Amino acid sequence: MAAERAGASATASATLTVDHLSHWFIDQQSGSTVHALDDINLAIQPGEFVTVVGPSGCGKTTLLKILAGFIKPNSGEAKVKGKAITKPGPDRGVVFQELAILPWRNVYRNISHGLEIQKVPKADRDRRVAELIELVGLSGFEKHHPHQLSGGMRQRVAVARTWASNPEIILMDEPFAAVDAMTRQTLQEELNRISVETGKTVFFITHSVEEAVFLGDRVIAMSARPGRVKEAVVVPIPRAERTWQSMSTDPAMAQCVDEVLGLVRGEHEASLVAEGSALEES
Amino acid sequence: MESLDLGRLTENMLAQHRRSERNEKIFGIFRALGPFVGLIALWWGVHAIFDPSPTKLVAPDKVVDAFFESVGEGVLPAYILQSLQRLGFGVIIGVVVGIPVGWLLGLDKEIAKAAEPTLRFFNAVSGIAWLPLLVTWFGFTERTISSIIIYTMIFPVVFNTMVGVRTVPPVLRDAARSMGASWPRIIKDVYVPGSFPSVMTGLRLGIGFGWRALIAGEFVVGGGGLGFFIFDARTAGVIERVMLGMIVLGVLWLMIDRLILRPVEEYTATKWGMVRQ
Repeated sequence: MAAERAGASATASATLTVDHLSHWFIDQQSGSTVHALDDINLAIQPGEFVTVVGPSGCGKTTLLKILAGFIKPNSGEAKVKGKAITKPGPDRGVVFQELAILPWRNVYRNISHGLEIQKVPKADRDRRVAELIELVGLSGFEKHHPHQLSGGMRQRVAVARTWASNPEIILMDEPFAAVDAMTRQTLQEELNRISVETGKTVFFITHSVEEAVFLGDRVIAMSARPGRVKEAVVVPIPRAERTWQSMSTDPAMAQCVDEVLGLVRGEHEASLVAEGSALEES
Repeated sequence: MESLDLGRLTENMLAQHRRSERNEKIFGIFRALGPFVGLIALWWGVHAIFDPSPTKLVAPDKVVDAFFESVGEGVLPAYILQSLQRLGFGVIIGVVVGIPVGWLLGLDKEIAKAAEPTLRFFNAVSGIAWLPLLVTWFGFTERTISSIIIYTMIFPVVFNTMVGVRTVPPVLRDAARSMGASWPRIIKDVYVPGSFPSVMTGLRLGIGFGWRALIAGEFVVGGGGLGFFIFDARTAGVIERVMLGMIVLGVLWLMIDRLILRPVEEYTATKWGMVRQ
C-alpha cells in the first residue's frame, strides 16, 4: 500500500523512531504488574513538533523517560537516527514537569550549566547564554535567583536551560501544567516561536488537547493503559503562523481539537472504567 | 508651575526607608535585651526581700564584681579559651567524620536502613551517660572530654546531612544526567549545594549539643575550662563565681549562635532560595 511505503521511507529519514516498544513494571504499592506501554510505533521527522495527549496513567511519561534514556524498555527499541537509546545523552534535552532548575544558581548560571558540563569555553558560553536570555525574554534578570522569579519566568529558565546545550531533540513533559492560564498561553506562543526559529525536533507531552493542537505539527492520541498509539491528527496550519489570536478563530484548529477530543474522550471513559474495575478487584 | 521631581521624591522615600530600617534594628536590640533586664530586676528583688545567706544566693552586683575579679586574675579568660578550644577540636572531628557518614547514608538507602536503628539507639544514650565508662577507659583526660563532645555532636550532623542529601529532588539529578554530567559532576553541582542548608542546620544543632556536653565533661574531668570554673567555685563555696560561670556559658553561646552560626545558616538558606523572607 502507498501509505505503508510512505511510512517506511519516513522511518528511514526520521530523527526519533520507536519500534514495537512495550514496557511494564511492578507497582511498588500494590505489587501487581502494570502494563504501561503496548507495541508503540512512532517516527518523528527532523524539525517536527509532535505532541502526545492521552488520559492520565496512559504511559506518556514512561514513554518520555524511555526516550530520554532514564528507563530501559522491556521489549522493542527507541532510536535516535537509527542508534538505539541506552542512556541519557546530550543529543536529547529534557524539560521536566517539576521544575528542574537549581535554586542556588542564578538565571545566568542555570542556563549555562549544560554548557559548563560540556566544557564549552567561557566566552562561547557567555555568548550562547546571552542569546538564550534574549530569546526567552529574561533580559535584566540574569542575576536573579529562581525564588525571586514568577512561575512563568522560572518555566522560561527551564526551557532556556535545556535549549542552551543545543540538543537536536527536545523532550518536554507537561512543562506548563503548573502555571496559570494566561501565562500558559504566553509560554505556548513563545515555545512555538522558539521551536520554529531554532528548528528543533520536539516531543511534547500534555493532557491539554488545546495545547497539543496549538503546538503540534502532529498530535498523537494515546489509549488508556496499556498505552497504545491510537491515532495521529495532523494540524494543517503552518506553525510559523500560529498565535492564540489567530488560532482561536481558525475553523481548522477547532476541527482538530474536536477530532483529538473525540479520540481522547473515549479513552478517558475507558480509563475510568478500568480504574473502577481495578477498585472492585481490590 | 514646577513639574514633579521624581528623582527627589524617590530619594526621600529611600532615605525614609533607611531610617525606619535603622529604627527597626535599634528596636530589635531593645526587644531582645528587655527580658534580661526584667530577669535581673527580679533577681535583685528576690535577693532584697528574702536576704538569703551569701553561700546560697548573691545579688547581681556581686556577680559583676566577681567578673572583674576573675578577669583580672586571668582565670576566666584562660578557662573560656580552653573551653572554646575543646569545642573547636570536637567540631573539626565532628565535621570530618559526621558529614561523610551522613553523605553515605543519604546516597545509599540500603546502608541507611541497616545503620539507622543503631544510630538512633546511640543517639538516645546521651554523651553524659558515657562519662563513667569514658573515665574508666581514658581517665580524667582531654581524651574523655573530646570523646563526649564528638559523640554528642555527631548524631545531629549525620542525620541532618543524610536528610539534606536525601531530599535533593531526583529531577535535578536527572536533569544534570540528561545534560551529560558524570557522577562526580552531579555530586558537585547538585548534591553538595542541594544538601548544604541542611548540613548547616545539623552543624548548628550539633555544636549546640556539643557545648552542653563539654560543660558536663569539664564538671567530671576538671583540668580547666568553664565547667571546671563553675564546679570548682561550688566546692570552694564561692556562689558568685558559680553564677558568673553560668551566665558566661549562656552569653558565650548566644554570641557564637547569633554572630556566627545563624548568619551563616540564614545566608545559605536565603541565597539558596529555601527560605522566603
